[in-house]
Order: sequence, then C-alpha cells, then structure tokens
Amino acid sequence: MSELFFLPSFPPVFNGLALFGLILLAGLAGGCLAARTRVLPKITGYIVAGWLLGPGALNLLGQDLLVEARLFVDISLGLILFELGRRLDFVWLRHDRWLLATGAGESALSFGLMFYVLGLFGIPPLQAAMAAAIGIAVSPAVVMLVAHEMGADGPVTRRLLALTAMNNVAALLAFTALLPLVHLSFEAGWLTVLLHPLYRLAGSLLLGAAFCLLTLRLARAVGKQEAGQFILLVGMIVAAVGAAKMFQLSVMLTLLSFGILARNLDRRRDLMEVEFGYAGQLFFVVLFVVAGASLQWVPGAMAGAALAMVAARLLGKSAALLVIGPASGLSLKQAALLGAALTPMTGVALGMAQTVADIYPDFGAQVSAIVVFAVAVLNLVGPVATRLALRAAGEAGHENERRW
Amino acid sequence: MGSLPFTPSEACSLGVELELQLVNTRDYNLTTDAPDLLRRLKDTEGLKPEITQSMVEINSSVHRGFDTLSAELHALRDALAREARRMNIAIAGGGAHPFQQWSERRIFPTERFLSVSEQYGYLAKQYTVFGQHIHLGCPTGDDALYLCHGLARYLPHFVALSASSPFYQGVDTAFDSSRLSVVNAFPMSGTLPWVHTWEEFEAYFDRMAAFGIVKSMKDFYWDVRPKPEFGTVEIRVCDTPLTVEKAADLAAYAQVLARWLLAERPALSQDIYLIYSYNRFQSCRFGLGGRLVLPGETARPTIGEDILDTLRRLEPHARELGAWGALGRLAADTSRGENGASWLRQAFAETKSLSDTVRRQSLLWMESRASEPQPGDS
Repeated sequence: MSELFFLPSFPPVFNGLALFGLILLAGLAGGCLAARTRVLPKITGYIVAGWLLGPGALNLLGQDLLVEARLFVDISLGLILFELGRRLDFVWLRHDRWLLATGAGESALSFGLMFYVLGLFGIPPLQAAMAAAIGIAVSPAVVMLVAHEMGADGPVTRRLLALTAMNNVAALLAFTALLPLVHLSFEAGWLTVLLHPLYRLAGSLLLGAAFCLLTLRLARAVGKQEAGQFILLVGMIVAAVGAAKMFQLSVMLTLLSFGILARNLDRRRDLMEVEFGYAGQLFFVVLFVVAGASLQWVPGAMAGAALAMVAARLLGKSAALLVIGPASGLSLKQAALLGAALTPMTGVALGMAQTVADIYPDFGAQVSAIVVFAVAVLNLVGPVATRLALRAAGEAGHENERRW
Repeated sequence: MGSLPFTPSEACSLGVELELQLVNTRDYNLTTDAPDLLRRLKDTEGLKPEITQSMVEINSSVHRGFDTLSAELHALRDALAREARRMNIAIAGGGAHPFQQWSERRIFPTERFLSVSEQYGYLAKQYTVFGQHIHLGCPTGDDALYLCHGLARYLPHFVALSASSPFYQGVDTAFDSSRLSVVNAFPMSGTLPWVHTWEEFEAYFDRMAAFGIVKSMKDFYWDVRPKPEFGTVEIRVCDTPLTVEKAADLAAYAQVLARWLLAERPALSQDIYLIYSYNRFQSCRFGLGGRLVLPGETARPTIGEDILDTLRRLEPHARELGAWGALGRLAADTSRGENGASWLRQAFAETKSLSDTVRRQSLLWMESRASEPQPGDS
C-alpha cells in the first residue's frame, strides 16, 4: 500500500453526486443567461449549457457519465408524460368533436408530408415511414415546461397540451404499427411479427391502467392532503417507469396512458392536482442539460433530408390547424400560433429511434441519423418557437405583468 | 336642465347584471379565457368583459316581470355553458373565488380598466369579486332617491339571501359574504347622502366633481345608487348567486319591494344610516342568522325572521307582479336557513377540497334547471 493511500487518484474521478451538482449548476447558469435575453426560454439555456459540457465541446460530461444520469432523465420524463396525459380530457373531446379531428388531422398530414419529402431524398419507404412516424410526436417536455415557465394559460396553451398528448399517442401507434413491417423486411418469424407490436401496445396500456387503478385506490386512502398525494404520485410514476423497463414495454405509452386514465377514470376525484414545484424543477433541469450534452451536430449525408423533414413537419401541422382549427372555434391567428407552438421535438423521438436501432442496428442507424439531426435543429428552434407563439397569443401570465 | 339629467323609465321595470367566474377544469382555479369566450360569442347579445380576464358579465335586457327575466337569464346561461364546454373551461356563480391568489390576476386591457388599475393598485386586482346588480326603473329622479333611502333598511336581506363567498384566498373567512368587505376598501364606497330631490343630488354631485373626486356616477361605489342615464336605482350588495334562478328570484324580490315602497311610501328616517353599517356587518358575517337593529323598534329579529315577515307583507304586490313563486322559493330557503354560503360550506365539508368545491359550484351554475311553476304563481 502506498503511504499516500489517503490521497485521491489524479485527476479525481467524477461520481454521481458531483455529476448531479454540476449538471444543476450548469443548468442554472444557462437558464439565467437565457432568461436575460427575454426571448429565449430557460430550457434553451439548459440545453446549450449541456452541449458545452458534453462530448461535443468540453467533454466534462462524457458518454459514461451521461449513462449514469439516465436515471434522473427517466424520472423527469415519467413526471412529464404523466402530467401531459392528465391534460387530455375525454369530456372535452366529447364537447368539441373537432378537437379530436384536429389532433388526428395534424398527425396524419405531418406524417404524410414528412414521408413524401424523405422519399424525395431517396430514403427507402420503410425508413422514411419510421422517421415520419417518430416525427409526429411533439416534445412533451418542451411544451409543458415552456408553458409552465411562462405561467401560460388560455385557449392556445390548453389546446397545445391536449394536441401534444394526442400526437404522442398517434406517433406511438404509427411506430408500433410499422414494427411488423420492419420485422417482415428482415424476414423475422411470424411470432415476432405479430406478437412484438401487440405485446408493446397491449402490455403498455394494461400496465398504465393497472398503475392508474392502484394510484386512485391509494389516493383515496391517503385523503386530500397535498404532501401525501405528492409523494404517492412521484412514487407511482417512478415505479411505473421502472416496471415498463422491467417488462420491456414502452415507457412513453405506459406513462401517457397512466396519465390519461388518471384524468378520465377518477370519477370521485380522489386524486388532487399536484404541482411538482421546485422538486420537479430539479429533475427537469437535469433532463435538458443531459439532452443538450447528447446533441450530435454531425450533419453528414442526412442533414438535407432531416431539414426537409423539419420543414414538412411544420407545414403539415400548421396547414392542418389552419384548415380544421376554425371548426373548433379557433381564430386564424390562434390556429397559426398553435401550429408554430407545435414545433418542438426532442428526447422521446431519440428514444423511439433507439428502440429500432437496438433490434436492427443498420436499419436503425439510417432512421437515427435523420431523427438525430432533426432533433438537434429543433432542440434549438423548438422551445423558442413555442415561447414566442404563446407570448403572441397573449397567454404568457408572468410576462404581461404590469409594474405593480 | 342640470348636470345629471335623469332619464325617466317605467316604474319597477327590471334588469340584472351578473358577474361570473371563469375557471379551468383541472384544478378549478380562475382562468383568463374571457377574451376568447367573448370572441366566440360575439353574436350573442348581453355579454360584456369585466375588469379581469377571469370574469364575464351577463346583462339582461329590461323586463316587466320575473318570467321573461328568468327565461332570458337561462338562455344566456345555456349559451355560455355550451361554449365554455367546447373550450374546456367552466363557469361558476358565487361572490368570490375560494382560493385564487389576487396577485395572479390579469387586468382586461381596455382603457377604463387599465386606468382603474393604475389608480387603485392592488385593490383593483383584489376586486376580483363577483356581484349581482339589480336595476329597478323609476319615473323620476326624486322617486329614485326615495327608493334608494327606502331600500337601505332592506339591503341586509339581499346580502344574506345572496351571500356565497364564505371562502376567500384559500380560507374560510367565517363570513357568509366576504366579498362586501373588499368593496369597503374603496374610498367612494358607502351610502349616498341624505338628499331627497334630484336638484339637491345634482348639487351634491357638482360639488364632488368640482373637488375633482369623481368624474361620473361610476365613481361612486355605493351599495345602492341611482343610475340617471338608465333611469334606475341599482342594488349592488348581492353576491352573484350560485344559480341563475336564484338571481332571478332576488331580482323579483327587489321589484316587489320597490313596488310596495313606491306605492305605500313609508316615512323615511335618517336613523337608518346610523345603524346601516352595523346591520350590513351582521348580514355579511352571519347571513340569515345575523341580528338587525331597526329604527324605532325594540325587537331585534334575525335577518331570516325579518325576511319572512317582509315577504308575508308583500304578498298582494307579489301576486300582482307574478312573482309569488319566486318569493316562495326565497321563503323556503330562508326558513331552512340556507344560502349559497351554507351550500359551499357543505360542499367543502364533503369533498375536503376547495378545487372540488368550485367544481360542484360550476356544475350547479352550468346545469341547474328552472324549477316547475309553483301553485301560487301568476
């Protein structure tokens, strides 16, 4: 044993705690700087701070550390997806039938246009369809957090969150429906072709439903006290994320259905509305710093196709809103702003691309290359677009504040 | 002609303004959808913005009796409720939102409201309270002034019957109507001066205007005030009730009372203003159970007892105006000791959550049906 055994190795090795602190402080600094611009949302600051620390620049957050941070990221995504699911109210869908049509329309039209445009760039149909399916989904984290940061409330904000919940479900359904075709093209056995999508879909829905029913039962036992319900919800959400991974199900679909059912099955209203507050903020900062660190600016051969896909996506979503929105009573201005607010696309898209890459690495790599670049672009453009749209809609609570 | 010409109107014609709360359907806090709701309903007559974006106002047209007023209020309510459901918001009655934080409210950006908020600072946002105003037609300014003074004795009835703001800023205030205490903070609140002819009143107004204290009648936040441009007397003490039906019933009571006052002309005594704030406090704090001091009488009845007494006395007038059914419902509530405040406290006791209390409150307002005509009607 060396006589200086008590000294750390040099350079000292970063551990999980130091990492968590570093990520938070970097996020704080980025967020503060972004807030000073009055144009950029704090999220953009978190993302840029993450990118500076990450492999792309300073490399303080290396690949292995990013894997360690995965736990925090999963928890944040769980909280966000659950909360997003709770914004989809079936009673609303019944009273405004055009709302469901809007969700279906913008999902379908953006899918169609993305698929078409990727074809023009010579991407094979199956890959193009997969990338387009992933592109349907709007980033739940970005829209939820930008709206929260601005204290946004009003018709555009409410529809933005409901549409985001719907297009995430649509993306997951389209993605799952395409899986058998991918399997077929690789001449997988019939058992895989049929059972894989079915297991993912039905399994995730059932797991979400089971968690929902259990949560409602426990909420009744806990009673109407905010602290108790907060712990209950965070506990159930994190457990649901873990269970979905354990059973190799879709974390997104499980948590979304958990949230949607929690809104719509809670007839007795046992579950309170819980603000995740400061505690949630911690996780969300980590989520975006890590997202920033994972950004890959490798334009490569797919850059053109990815940019075209981004444009087609925006066009599809906006056109659908301008055509169907007025039937829902939206003004043209609201419809246009809603289309712009639907720009963000982030981490969950990468997750889906990864799912394919895990099974068929080569096939997945092509899909990933497109999605990753699109996500990189929209990580920077998306939050700003959502923020400016909500502000232009006059729904930014904290910002319309007058002097007193 | 003086500085404030009084436009004559038909005696005891009737109109109602109702300020309503817009809430979201998630945690039932106030939401800021008034501009959008009004845009969507721009072809519907009788809707107006109010000072904050969490509030819309229903204005009825002028009516001669309860039936048509009730029908119009229900129709407006139905139109609002239908559109609100399409927007995924809810609309509720009640004098105050039980748990909103006043600092979070946004002022509706019209010129008048912005200048009010400039002038009153935090009071303007705290004024996110919701009232019912009842307009009663008067042929002359002198009648209007007589009616204002004559009604003063009965205003506690209206406070207690309509009271529906027991919760404010998240706590049970122990008041049945916490809303009226908010009004007290404004410098021009209170009661009108002891004048009896319209010339005297105009002279008073001119002096206040010369001091630079007021510019128009709108600047007086009195509990009851003449409204010369409409030719009405306006009762302003009511909380917005939890149902449109209750709002129509209250208006009917005011109409019958006004008809009785103008027909019988009981002698007025300035003493009513010596005891006015005491009685008003009793009605806000204790509702129907508050005790009244009455000029020239030694008995101190509860407000509920005094209401039942008064309703009995008004029966002939009520029957002639077709309002006996409305008064019967008020009498039934009064004998049971029930008003909006007791309903809300009951809802909170059952749900143990102010969010769920507002949810029930909004369902009640959006869905309640007019009751069947009672045998005593017409």
